Amino acid sequence: MGKFFGHRPPVSPRPEFLSVKSLLQCAGGISLLFIVAHLAGLRAFTCILNGTVGSVALGWQISQLLALAYIFIYLLFVLLVPVLVLAAMILTLWQKGRRK
Amino acid sequence: MPGRDVIMKTRLHRLLAGLVALVIAAVVWLPCLHFVFLRPVNDFRQEAGISPKARALAAEQLKLWTDPALQKVEVEKMRNSNPEWDFMGRSFLVWSLANMSLRDPASKALNLPAMDRIIDETLRIEKEKGICFFLMSYGKPEQYVVQPARSLFVDGEIALMLAARRMVEEKPEYKRLLTERVDLMADALRKSPHLILESYPDECWTFDHCVALDAMKLADQLDGTDHSALIRDWVAMARVKLVDPRSGLLIASFTTTGAPLSGPQGSTLWMSAHCLQLLDDDFARDQYARAKKELGTVTLGFGYAHEWPASCPGPANVDSGPIVPGFDISAGSSGMAFIGAAAFGDTKFLQSLAATLDFAGFPAHSGGRLKYCASNQVGDAALLYAATLGPLWQKVKLGGHHG
Repeated sequence: MGKFFGHRPPVSPRPEFLSVKSLLQCAGGISLLFIVAHLAGLRAFTCILNGTVGSVALGWQISQLLALAYIFIYLLFVLLVPVLVLAAMILTLWQKGRRK
Repeated sequence: MPGRDVIMKTRLHRLLAGLVALVIAAVVWLPCLHFVFLRPVNDFRQEAGISPKARALAAEQLKLWTDPALQKVEVEKMRNSNPEWDFMGRSFLVWSLANMSLRDPASKALNLPAMDRIIDETLRIEKEKGICFFLMSYGKPEQYVVQPARSLFVDGEIALMLAARRMVEEKPEYKRLLTERVDLMADALRKSPHLILESYPDECWTFDHCVALDAMKLADQLDGTDHSALIRDWVAMARVKLVDPRSGLLIASFTTTGAPLSGPQGSTLWMSAHCLQLLDDDFARDQYARAKKELGTVTLGFGYAHEWPASCPGPANVDSGPIVPGFDISAGSSGMAFIGAAAFGDTKFLQSLAATLDFAGFPAHSGGRLKYCASNQVGDAALLYAATLGPLWQKVKLGGHHG
């Protein structure tokens, strides 16, 4: 049994805040979240932007909540993910430059 | 503890480097973002023929009219917010299909039956349920100043639907219907001491007057009548009474005596300017130029429009839609700005508006059809109208009669 319980499984160290790895992990996480929200069909609820209820059956409050969640995740995906990836590239280049 | 200091310094340096990298990345990315959504303007609207987006939008709209279950869901959602949208969605679609048929005569075979179906169903509902079915709840017939109650909003748009259909191809059944409605509006206008008619009880709209007068202009061409004096008098009255002195823009709504109820409103002004093109081209151009200056904005390559000019602020309402704080973006005004930009050949503004639409309109493509999730049926029909308008007005201006 010691084989199973004797050792703690190896845990990968948490990447340092604002490191290349953490930036890319954050970008990946947001992208995944966006894909899930998109596949869940939350895009259809964004009609609250013109004052139309997303679903008469679900009502205003739930429609609004789903729409706002989707819009927030979409904006993160479109605005933040490219910035995070670009920043990771800039940091990588900077670190390479310093090593030289 | 020198070792700890070194570790802290190294961490601080890393954090600073990360922050600087983020700031540089944001400064690079944000001004470039619009390039992802920027398309050639021909993608949205073409001078001749029908653009790919117009075809796809029209396909989605026509699908709604051939699938009653789908239509019911869409209409129910809109009516839940504003019954007017159910009505205006019909009007914009019929006017768009008329323009599409003139752009591409081969499409008449598909478009004319659809136009007739929409017109006939709208007339049936009006007859069975009365004008109030298409009005907001405060449109009570007994409260109208002029009795029997009629709404210029309903009469004007139905008349323009009938006239647009007949401009594409004559339909004898619609001739009498158009004449009756135009006569009703013209007689009532002549009887009105201020040349003003109600859309709601003691609430009159510039938009509705412009649409109604356009219908008369088309009727003149179709049936040889002459409403030019009435149109001239109304425009002269509007220049004096309905223009906001601060911005020089037409106010949106007013009482039956011409007293302002609201200032200039983007969600109606862009369409009013377009409708004025048939009534007084110079006035129309002046209104568009002022609207563009006061309401149109482009930020980081994305075009949008405010609902109210800075000189005449107002609240968000059912026409403006929710207003995005900070940027003061109105979905209603931005959507209708497409019509203004398209009508006055403002290609650059139209292109930037289209970039915003693809960025924040949440397009959904399916089997050659297109709808914008952030919009609704009436919003998409208005966009389709912006993508196709032109030939109908052109035909009236050139004086060409239907065949």
